[in-house]
Amino acid sequence: MSSKSSPNQTETSLTNVAVISSSDADDPAFASLGASLVEIRKMKGVLGYIIRGNSSAAFDLAEGDKITQFAFLSYQLCESCLEIAKQLSVATIESALVEGKNLKVLFVNVGENKISVFMEKNIDHSGILKRVLI
Amino acid sequence: MTEVSSPNSSSTPLQTILGEFRNISPETTKAVIFKEDGEILACNEGDIAKDRAKNLAAAFDEIANHSEVIGGVENLTIQGVNSQINVITTNGRYLATVSSRMADDKRVKALTFVVLPTIIKLMDQTEPSEPENEPTDPPNSEAEKEKETTKPPEEPKHTEQPKHTEHLSNPHRMLSEQNFPKPPVNQFMVEKIAGLLVASDIVRVDADIVAKWVDLYGDREISQVNVETLEGRSVRCKFRPVREADSKAKGIIQIPERILQTLRLVEGKLVIVKPVIPAEWEEKR
Repeated sequence: MSSKSSPNQTETSLTNVAVISSSDADDPAFASLGASLVEIRKMKGVLGYIIRGNSSAAFDLAEGDKITQFAFLSYQLCESCLEIAKQLSVATIESALVEGKNLKVLFVNVGENKISVFMEKNIDHSGILKRVLI
Repeated sequence: MTEVSSPNSSSTPLQTILGEFRNISPETTKAVIFKEDGEILACNEGDIAKDRAKNLAAAFDEIANHSEVIGGVENLTIQGVNSQINVITTNGRYLATVSSRMADDKRVKALTFVVLPTIIKLMDQTEPSEPENEPTDPPNSEAEKEKETTKPPEEPKHTEQPKHTEHLSNPHRMLSEQNFPKPPVNQFMVEKIAGLLVASDIVRVDADIVAKWVDLYGDREISQVNVETLEGRSVRCKFRPVREADSKAKGIIQIPERILQTLRLVEGKLVIVKPVIPAEWEEKR
């Protein structure tokens, strides 16, 4: 698995999880969500996740060669959902689900943290959503 | 200045259908169908700013542009605190609905992901053929005029063809050969069927719908249907009407376990069902 880091960032690799964070990052919500996502990642049919906080990010994706594509999609999903919600006068986004022909992505907005979970289409995403929000 | 786009007259059926959304699902507060350029084809909430629709389309397209890794975008659902947004695109048109999270999820999804896309597809299929169905211009040549005047008034236009008398004696056949209707598309909720006497390769379709097919195609027997899931998986199989004892189950398709597995379906899901038109019928169109 590959990941990038800048001089003022530290990069940790815990088995399959790559974490990119600022040296002063100490966000308990991020850490807690990260722990939940590690458990979710173990579920059959879950291909991986990306979590972005204010100063940290972590990801664990099965298909390492597609990390960039997953990351772009994750970012765009967040941005576009905000735009769509704004245009349709929906104030706050809690979650979003985009279904493709092969896979689906669950996006969850938890405070400052943006989470994308990539999974096969037959997976119960509402169960995953509950686990993320617990 | 904000440009406001109102649904144009050519989209009246869509407008009517969207207008009915509130009756079917009162929790669906907003529904709009628009094109990529922001042109509103139908909207159930009066006028909507064209640039707003344009922004919606652009935002959806941005996701679609990055979605190759998941196999494109089939649909998008956004959940807010109290509201839920559904967006899909079909044939270059976008449909966005906003509904309360208290709304019946199945109903909203059926309307958004099945009913409207199906109607849009049907409209696309029928639109190009409309000019053919329009009344033709008065005959230009004398010969044509003569042909018209010698024709008995109650007879259709194709009287000059040799097969004409046979057509008249069999109105269903005349219909199918001269103005062959497109296969109707119906949406059903799946019910599992099991038992010793249940054939594993035959589905059972709402008897009323089967009766409509008989009305539509007359004595030409339709023996197969195409069952398609919302995910795009489909099978072609034989069918029978739902047995009389079960006929109270309207809008239901009963599917045996084997076909359910093939389609990766479970009870309660929605499917689209079309009668399969044999190739030899199509050739005669």
